[in-house]
Amino acid sequence: MSDTLIEVRELRKHFPIRRGVLQRVTGHVRAVDGVGFRVGKGETLGVVGESGCGKSTMGRSILRLIEPTSGTVEFQGKNILNLSKADMQLMRRQMQIVFQDPYASLNPRFTVAKTLMEPMIVHKLHDKATRMSRVKSLLERVGLDPDYAERFPHEFSGGQRQRIGIARALTLNPKLLILDEPVAALDVSVQSQVLNLLKDLQDEFALTYLFIAHDLSVVRHISDRVLVLYLGRMAELADTDSIFSDPLHPYTKALLSAVPIPDPDVRRERIILKGDLPSPANPPKGCPFHTRCPVAAQICREQVPEWREAKQGHFVACHLA
Amino acid sequence: MSNVLEVNHLQIQFKIGERYHEAVQDVSFSIRQGETLGLVGESGCGKSVTSLSIMRLLAKGTKISGEVKYGDRDLLKLSESQMRKIRGNEIGMIFQEPMTSLNPVHRIGRQIVESLLLHRGLTGKRAADTAIEMLARVGIPRPEQIAQEYPHQLSGGMRQRVMIAIAMACNPGLLIADEPTTALDVTIQAQILDLMRNLASEHRTSILLITHDLGVVAEMCDRVAVMYAGKIVEQGTVRQIFHNPQHPYTKGLLNSIPKITGERKRLQPIEGNVPSLRNMPQGCRFAPRCPHALDKCRVSAPEFFEIEEEHKSQCWLHA
Repeated sequence: MSDTLIEVRELRKHFPIRRGVLQRVTGHVRAVDGVGFRVGKGETLGVVGESGCGKSTMGRSILRLIEPTSGTVEFQGKNILNLSKADMQLMRRQMQIVFQDPYASLNPRFTVAKTLMEPMIVHKLHDKATRMSRVKSLLERVGLDPDYAERFPHEFSGGQRQRIGIARALTLNPKLLILDEPVAALDVSVQSQVLNLLKDLQDEFALTYLFIAHDLSVVRHISDRVLVLYLGRMAELADTDSIFSDPLHPYTKALLSAVPIPDPDVRRERIILKGDLPSPANPPKGCPFHTRCPVAAQICREQVPEWREAKQGHFVACHLA
Repeated sequence: MSNVLEVNHLQIQFKIGERYHEAVQDVSFSIRQGETLGLVGESGCGKSVTSLSIMRLLAKGTKISGEVKYGDRDLLKLSESQMRKIRGNEIGMIFQEPMTSLNPVHRIGRQIVESLLLHRGLTGKRAADTAIEMLARVGIPRPEQIAQEYPHQLSGGMRQRVMIAIAMACNPGLLIADEPTTALDVTIQAQILDLMRNLASEHRTSILLITHDLGVVAEMCDRVAVMYAGKIVEQGTVRQIFHNPQHPYTKGLLNSIPKITGERKRLQPIEGNVPSLRNMPQGCRFAPRCPHALDKCRVSAPEFFEIEEEHKSQCWLHA
């Protein structure tokens, strides 16, 4: 195994629910509830799950864009959750994020040059001329004309904006990129351009990716290993081929069987899950998935399944797997 | 088999600034009874505009020409009051975002009852019972209670079920579904597609399914029309399109999507971007992005070439 770049242990983020005139805390939304994994240098860990499973909250908690409730996040052996504000800011040079919506994540009043220079100004890096030349070389690297530097975001298409978002994340030479649904808002023909770009950048700059997405085909394409989340908890974690060819958790199986395949002659046994995702404010007792699980047994309703290594490097939280 | 809907030479122009721009150019297709036709393409290709023009829901000042034949009537020639008798009655429609298409201040039951009172002349009690029956048919648990609730109390999947219940309440001959599952999670998408398929086959309803998701098309459709920059570039049965694609754009789309099975190899994207309405390329609209473009492609727009029965493609390479 390669060297660990980041290791997350028992990460929790519980949002308080406040009610009444006094705004008393009456409960918690357990958005992320005890998640732990490691990501090696240069590796891509894909994180999948449906809306509300906590995948975005998890990504943001790791960067402390949302302050986690408890747990540890070790970056190169150092727990970053204890860092002071100033130290954390310094640490963020190493870890950057790319957001889903390239329309919402770029300041409409900033030119591309200003957007890309901002991180260097905040971190007091380089002089003006060097910053500008870095902007141009980054634009070129992500496949945009360097002459576009003086344009505004509205002059670009969705795919081009996402390239700008990626360039911004790269300005400080980070080691880790958290990619939160980076291609979900893009058209299919442009999506593949951006996925190829991400692969090339990873090779060139030895980047480590935490790739959060709901699209299983995209995750399969880009990831070395895949983590499946359900209701803020880990359901399964294994290398990509094992997850897709030999899934152990009934939720992973259902998820995979639900993906429509672009081939009219492929007819699969589909596991149609009943009902909706339960509320993370009031998760079911026992296994969080038992209310929708097609094979749930008595034990699933009573006991939370433990996280165990079912096969070498293949972890699952299920009593029956 | 008879055609339920026949669209001939549909042309739609929007006014931007002082000039009219062509959003849809010479689009023709037909849907037979009980058949599902997929209209696929990327954002801005004109697929939603086409469906809105069938329902005559485009803003005033939009220039529309051509023919939209539903049975023996041309929908483009009907008066507004005649059109109202068709919408929600003979043609049902579901949209991508169920939250914005349901009225947030009315209870679910009332929203289904509305079309039953209007089109079917049912009395209050009968209509309310039918509404609850519809909710049960689209797989909503506790339909009596849900009928009393408001849209915000339901999940996205449930709301889309309600939309389907409304669209199917009057048992329409044609259902237009514009990206019906795009806002939903995969496991919920599977439920909704399953429901649409079952309802359609039960009632022999024809479906015009508008989507960008090729997986959904392969699973749901009998025939497919691929749109690019306001034109249909290829049309055929679902097997012809997926197993023997002819147009370079269709081929490019199929090659650019990551697959859930098989070998993981580098994706082959279509380079460049979709052209904007204001500067459509001369000749073939796909030519600037096409890896096989000839000189001819840049100056003159290709006609349809018939590949085999039912299968045609608009590309000079077939000439």
